[in-house]
Amino acid sequence: MKIYTGGGDRGKTGLFSGERVAKSHLQVEAYGDVDELNSTIGSLAAVLPTKGADIGEQLRLIQSDLLHIGAWLATTPTAQPTALLEEFAADRVGFLENTIDRMEENLHPLSGFILPGGHVSSAAAHVSRTVCRRAERRVVALMEQLGSEQLPESWQQVLRYLNRLSDYLFVLARYCNHLTGVDEPLWKS
Amino acid sequence: MKQQIYTCELQQSTRLSAGTFELALSRPRDFTFQPGQRIRLLDRYRERDYSLVNAPADSSLRLCIRRVPAGSFTASLHAAATGSRFQFSGPHGYFVFRSTSRPAVFVATGTGIAPFASMARAKTRGFTLLHGVKSPDDLYYADLFHATAGTYVPCISGKASTAARWFHGRVTGYVEKELPPGTYDFYLCGRTEMIRDVTWLIDEHFPDSNVYSEIFF
Repeated sequence: MKIYTGGGDRGKTGLFSGERVAKSHLQVEAYGDVDELNSTIGSLAAVLPTKGADIGEQLRLIQSDLLHIGAWLATTPTAQPTALLEEFAADRVGFLENTIDRMEENLHPLSGFILPGGHVSSAAAHVSRTVCRRAERRVVALMEQLGSEQLPESWQQVLRYLNRLSDYLFVLARYCNHLTGVDEPLWKS
Repeated sequence: MKQQIYTCELQQSTRLSAGTFELALSRPRDFTFQPGQRIRLLDRYRERDYSLVNAPADSSLRLCIRRVPAGSFTASLHAAATGSRFQFSGPHGYFVFRSTSRPAVFVATGTGIAPFASMARAKTRGFTLLHGVKSPDDLYYADLFHATAGTYVPCISGKASTAARWFHGRVTGYVEKELPPGTYDFYLCGRTEMIRDVTWLIDEHFPDSNVYSEIFF
């Protein structure tokens, strides 16, 4: 089955809400960053330590959430097709917070800055974290452009989710070093 | 999320043209869909998506199927006897009609007409429909669209066509040369090449229009 039409060969693409926009459009940049984030999380899942089976399941749920987020970002908020989208609910942020809290119970309190790295899974989690922060910045810029006070509640939850996901990935990076017995690289200023 | 699997029975198989037929399947009681959506027929090894051509309120599910040369899946569907049981999942897809102030232009090639038949049967009206086929014999559902479309334009690309009531050429030719300037909601369903070419024409000639597309095989 062909997955391509070539309709985008001249630099435009179609939003889920039907508009044809330049591929440099801020909305495309935003869901593109979320797509990139999803891919890095796939890479992270592929190098998890064997003790991290439950983390693998968490990451699959997060990847599904990110696809859901991509659909919202690809739909102009005032357009009718938003009615076709499933609400992005606040409980997804709660899921992240619960998993953060559970991992942190196993970690020493931070006494200074750490350098991204250590076990390969920890390094991968840091890459995902920084891509997540970029996606968040792009979504903020998009929301400012669209007029955030008029956006559906799901957009607010998307923003909260991306903010919390960065925190999750930071803690996960530390947790991966903990699981594998690798010392956290510390910043020696 | 796990997809629900439904079971249905073949009630009737009807010839539409030399290479196309319609299947009527019993409708599971709890199955609902929106006009323009697909179901996925499943067998042990394969799965194929087909848009429903009936309205959501109809008692049977109907599929418009083109026999694919050397295609064993469509061959088995074509040969299926009344009472044969099938499994399917669905509904799938978001190719549904979205009513706006912009006029709607439906563009189909071949069996890509299927979702538009469902929309028309579900009381969508006032649309312009371009149906591209090689031969007038492939203008299935013509009566339906004569009765429901604001403008119905069969586009006949084969040499056999000489009747004045059809556009002689491909749907792309009509979009480029005949469709009045304006801002539209375009719905494209058909082969990849058509979707690509019409999308480019829209970008060039109908800026600020919306485009929804569904690749059909």
